[in-house]
Amino acid sequence: MTTNKDVLIKVDDVHKVFANKLHALNGVSETISKGEVVVIVGPSGSGKSTFLRSLNLLEMPTSGHIYFEGIDITSKETDIDRHRQKMGMVFQHFNLFPHMTILENITLAPMKLLKKSKEEAEEQAMELLKQVGLEAKAESYPSQLSGGQKQRIAIVRSLAMNPEVMLFDEPTSALDPEMVGEVLELMKKLAHDGMTMVVVTHEMGFAKEVATRVLFMDAGEIKEQGKPEEFFGNPKDERLKEFLSKVL
Amino acid sequence: MAAFAELFYQDFIVDNRYKYLVRGLGNTLVVTFFAVIIGIIIGFLVAIIRSSYSKMDKPGVPVKILNFICQVYLTIIRGTPTVVQLLISFFIIYTSPNVSKTMVAVLTFGINSGAYVAEIIRSGIMSIDGGQMEAGRSLGLNYVQTMWYIIVPQAFKNVLPALANEFIVLLKETSICGYIGMNDLTKGGDIIRSATYDPYLPLLTVAVIYLIMVCGLSALVGRLERRLRSSDH
Repeated sequence: MTTNKDVLIKVDDVHKVFANKLHALNGVSETISKGEVVVIVGPSGSGKSTFLRSLNLLEMPTSGHIYFEGIDITSKETDIDRHRQKMGMVFQHFNLFPHMTILENITLAPMKLLKKSKEEAEEQAMELLKQVGLEAKAESYPSQLSGGQKQRIAIVRSLAMNPEVMLFDEPTSALDPEMVGEVLELMKKLAHDGMTMVVVTHEMGFAKEVATRVLFMDAGEIKEQGKPEEFFGNPKDERLKEFLSKVL
Repeated sequence: MAAFAELFYQDFIVDNRYKYLVRGLGNTLVVTFFAVIIGIIIGFLVAIIRSSYSKMDKPGVPVKILNFICQVYLTIIRGTPTVVQLLISFFIIYTSPNVSKTMVAVLTFGINSGAYVAEIIRSGIMSIDGGQMEAGRSLGLNYVQTMWYIIVPQAFKNVLPALANEFIVLLKETSICGYIGMNDLTKGGDIIRSATYDPYLPLLTVAVIYLIMVCGLSALVGRLERRLRSSDH
């Protein structure tokens, strides 16, 4: 079923029921191909974050399967840590490691997991930092950075593992309005460089401009999806129409 | 002044009585040092088991058993006086003549301290934001690596004052070593007291030595804390 080699992630009838009986995902099936920029929108509590977090099993689905590069990562036999190395994740609250310098934040995983030497990892980290214009912050600690800078570092930290896909969980929701732009700029650049991205966001402008596909989630289901022009220009689902009328 | 000199002479110089204090101090330091190491190792392991257990959705049977053992350990150690534990160790558990009194004291205080250290470290681990574990795991680090490189260093920093306090308490608590006839610092002072019938100088000297050690330790910890805090600006 995953013979198409352009398919990167395949989600097959995934359900997620939390301990408090909340039915967050209600049978979601979806395919994400290489090079796609999939933006997920929807009201809060619609399950979009749960869906994103289940892609790298930060949320373990209650039932259903998720295939990454053709391998069922929901299977008990799969070593999820190995696959997570290729799935970068960026969080709403950055989650930088406060006890480490920026450079240490970025080089930790490449050194421990890809067995890079310190020099090699630092060289790569500096290269990435230059690309985002933050090389001067290499020896700083996260607490010395602005929110926008923190989030760009968090993106760089994920990129240092050379991931196949980047997952963004509301990456700009915790930022001051004036810092949203710099993070979106970097994400746009990533998209233009061909990175496969799955983005949960409320930034409709970003969705319109950068997404190759937009998904609308509500009540734990994908209610509608399409290319941005059609999705925003000609929505069919009633709930989506209502949602768009409020956010646009 | 002459009376004081005479007392000093009687208490510390005659028969080289000062050696009771020197040897006693040595024993106190040895017992405290090794007990701290044992306490950290036990406390760390118990804390990891307990905090992992409470974070798991469905803990497996081995984890449940380990957690239960830890629970029993904490209850017994924290629920009984240290003196009683020391006496039980000496008269019931380690009765072999091959086990020295120092060894009995090290094991007893180490196991005792481990219980308190465990709860301190556990509270530190639980205080770290869940996003830190998620960030580590999402990079592909496994649970142990994430704990070791990301969670524990932060937890340790947060609980350092409480941990230092525990070790200061431990240093002072070793003064009950005399119960099993061990010549620690306190016992040394007491031996001089009973030999010279002067309670003042020997006991006050002992008290001052403890005080100096505690103040020294506190100052050291203060410096370490400042260094660790260099990442919060």
